[in-house]
Amino acid sequence: MIQLKDIIVKFGDFEALHNINVHVKEGEFFTFLGPSGCGKTTTLRTITGFIEPVSGTVSMQGRDITHVPIEKRNIGIVFQSYALFPTMTVHDNIAFGLKIKKLPKDEIERKVKTIAQKVDLSDEQLAKAVSQLSGGQQQRVAIARALVTEPAIICMDEPLSNLDAKLRVQLRNELKKMQREFGITTIYVTHDQEEALTLSDRIAVFNKGYIEQIGTPNEIYNFSQTEFVANFIGDINRLEYQIVGEMKLDGTKHHFIRLERVRVNRPKHDDDWQGQGTIESREYYGLYIKYYIRVAGQTIKVIEKNDGINIYDAGQQVTVGIHPRDVMSY
Amino acid sequence: MQAAAGGKKSFDISYLWKIFGGVLFVYLFLGFMVIPCLNTLTSVFTTTDAEGRTDPFAVIRFFFAGNMPSFLWNSLKLAVCLVVTVNVVGISIVLLTEYFDIKGARILRLGYMTTLIYSGVALVTGYQFLYDSNGMVTNWLMQSFPGMNRQWFSGFSAVLFTMTFACTSNHALFLRNAIRGIDYNTVEAARNMGAKPFTVLFRVVMPTLLPTLFSLTVMTFITGLCAMSAPTLLGYNSINPEIVRLAGSSATDESFPQARAALLSVILALFTMILLTVLNHYERKGHYLSVSKTKAKLVKQKIQNPVANVLAHVYAYVLFLIYMTPVVMIVVFSFQNWAAVRAKALNVSQWTLSNYFGVQDYAYTRSSGKVATRRGAISGVFANEKTVGGIRLSFVLSAIAAALACVIVVLAVNYIFKNRNKKRGRVVEACLLFPWLLPTILICYSFRIFFNNEVWYVFGQNLYYKENVRFLIIMAYTVVKLPFALRMIKAAFYAIDDELEDAAKNLGASPLVTFLRVKLPIVLPSVLAVFALNFNALFTEYDMGATFQKAEGTTYAMVIQSMCNEEGRDGMNMNASGRRCASTVFIMLVSGLILYLVYGVGARDLGERLEHRKKWKQRLARLTGKKQTA
Repeated sequence: MIQLKDIIVKFGDFEALHNINVHVKEGEFFTFLGPSGCGKTTTLRTITGFIEPVSGTVSMQGRDITHVPIEKRNIGIVFQSYALFPTMTVHDNIAFGLKIKKLPKDEIERKVKTIAQKVDLSDEQLAKAVSQLSGGQQQRVAIARALVTEPAIICMDEPLSNLDAKLRVQLRNELKKMQREFGITTIYVTHDQEEALTLSDRIAVFNKGYIEQIGTPNEIYNFSQTEFVANFIGDINRLEYQIVGEMKLDGTKHHFIRLERVRVNRPKHDDDWQGQGTIESREYYGLYIKYYIRVAGQTIKVIEKNDGINIYDAGQQVTVGIHPRDVMSY
Repeated sequence: MQAAAGGKKSFDISYLWKIFGGVLFVYLFLGFMVIPCLNTLTSVFTTTDAEGRTDPFAVIRFFFAGNMPSFLWNSLKLAVCLVVTVNVVGISIVLLTEYFDIKGARILRLGYMTTLIYSGVALVTGYQFLYDSNGMVTNWLMQSFPGMNRQWFSGFSAVLFTMTFACTSNHALFLRNAIRGIDYNTVEAARNMGAKPFTVLFRVVMPTLLPTLFSLTVMTFITGLCAMSAPTLLGYNSINPEIVRLAGSSATDESFPQARAALLSVILALFTMILLTVLNHYERKGHYLSVSKTKAKLVKQKIQNPVANVLAHVYAYVLFLIYMTPVVMIVVFSFQNWAAVRAKALNVSQWTLSNYFGVQDYAYTRSSGKVATRRGAISGVFANEKTVGGIRLSFVLSAIAAALACVIVVLAVNYIFKNRNKKRGRVVEACLLFPWLLPTILICYSFRIFFNNEVWYVFGQNLYYKENVRFLIIMAYTVVKLPFALRMIKAAFYAIDDELEDAAKNLGASPLVTFLRVKLPIVLPSVLAVFALNFNALFTEYDMGATFQKAEGTTYAMVIQSMCNEEGRDGMNMNASGRRCASTVFIMLVSGLILYLVYGVGARDLGERLEHRKKWKQRLARLTGKKQTA
């Protein structure tokens, strides 16, 4: 569907993207994930045509679109700020692209009505100014405006970042539902790993202008290929000298273990490493509890399901177990 | 190689427009800013002696030998004193209405803000109506103190008094906003740590207002230095009236008047430049910004000491009376007949609209005993040919100039915005800010002198000749208003989210369509506000009107000024003072309407406008529904 091949982008002397290669499949929900300044938005803007690469090609459905003007790429965009035109009503915002294409009035009306229905916007809301809508409704308008021109793909640049936590979770689900309904190829940019893991079919993790790993959420989380990916996705413990030695792990590498893979007061399995630790403190999250345990000369973070029974207090002695299979080494 | 926006460039008509726009901009900048002002500067050093030899320092020698420094000294004295008095009154009115708990603060605020709609020449003539030799207050004082000087309200003290109250508008707007921006939690924190109320005021509140106060002080100093209408009407020898006098003088009457006027203008310009440089340097340091994420709204402070509380209330209401009395009297007397206005004695049994509408003959008895009639001697604002002519001329010239300034600035800012990180963008911006560095009088004087010849680049026309002067006034008005328009409109442009332009581009809109349909509608309220505020200022503008005054260029302010001297001259203009009152009321109405349109209606966004429309529809439906049921 969309293929980036050996893309290099420079801003002056600064090379923002180094040899980016991505292939997004038809109908896929593909996410660019990474910290600020890692190149994910630059890659998206290269796809949409706002940035022209120094070298490499962008092709869509087999056609090279590297030098095709923005408006002729047939790519819909949902911006971070939604970029809704404040001086136009919701209807006029959605109809803007159709009017630019000089479609007949009745066709514009029909298309606007259809898309409004699909994204759950009422006639009354269509007559309103965008400032009169809630954050969630504004997002729907932005999606409707991007979709009404029937683009081949849709690009979303952190569209949930301006919303509060609760609404973000709610709209995340709606977004995924809408994407499935429309069946449209979607490229999504975010720095929120939870958002990426819950929404995406596949994820590309960016770091300093490079792609560290491309994979499904499960591959990215459980089989992180690089130390950066392991650290960036979810919380993780780095195992230090004593445990590394006792577990006979390769001393030339760095070793990590996810919080939920550390076992507290559980029976020993096969070749589990076990050590006696003391609870330093705990953080109560409701669904689960996070413990900081001092063991083998280091502090290990552990997440335990809150079953209401096995809750440990600070100072309490516990047994900490680690299975070598759960250790990620780089 | 730098990343660039997509799309291949090809030659199109827009490049021709760009070239045309660039050439026009350079023509206007050089032709109507640089060359006339340079001419003024060089004229200082190109005076000739009796034998026709150039003597570059003749004017400077004359300056030190003659009385010219006294004009400079007078202006400086006025500026320094104004800084003190305006700040005292300005800070007082803001603290009394926004910080302290004073009863009737809303009414007081309205009174203190009257200068927003009642300023310039209208305000000066209003004060004259009360305090001049035949003024109401003077008459009352004369009854109590028969020995006092009837002319007490003239010269320095009168100018200082009038300008003190005329120049607090900026305090009423900007200092008020600054004090409202204070986080009340900081006040509470100081109180919690044991600070007394006045310690809080001077150690916590006032320091946060200092940057705003500094800007206001510099602006007040420049206003004092460049004062025109008050010194002219109240008789004070400061620089600006002298420049205008010299500009109209000829070499046969006195030594090189034009060169002297030019020297005074240049001195004024130097002062302005130094002050604005200081202000700019200070503003770059930035203001104190509240670091609070949850700012608490300021709660008014009750003055605990009962004596201080009473004194504060007395002070507040005395200021209110000073602000309001001229306004109220002017309004009331605008509905009185000529006899009541002349005697400054209210006749509650007789009210008239003759100061506004209609023409009446005036019959009087001559010393010979015969009754004579002066036809049309009593005429209202809208029936007096000269007044209507002044209004019409000012209206048209101000509207054209205000619109022209907006169009130039909108196009230029769009260009500056697109080239904001490039040298060419900064150059265009600097060109538009150029008039800000120069006092208005220097620009106008330069225009008047330079264009009072046939100038080749304006098709060999003399722009000060006959009706051409109107074009010259428009150009001067436009040039003078460019910096203000730029600051306001630029701020509006920079507030536009960059992603809007990207979104429009993505949806297929060309740069022109994006500008016309996306960016322009967003900045339009600001553009209209700038247009309205500029129009408002120019409609009763005095300084430029006085510099360009001639039969074909008599603006409304000049007509009002002439009314001050007309009344009773052989009974020809019986109600000139009444008409002056009515004129002032008319100006207040126009200014009030414009401020309402700008800040009341214009400030609403699309959502608010739709809500407003909906409410009106509902009201209309209820009304028609009632009628139907009735």
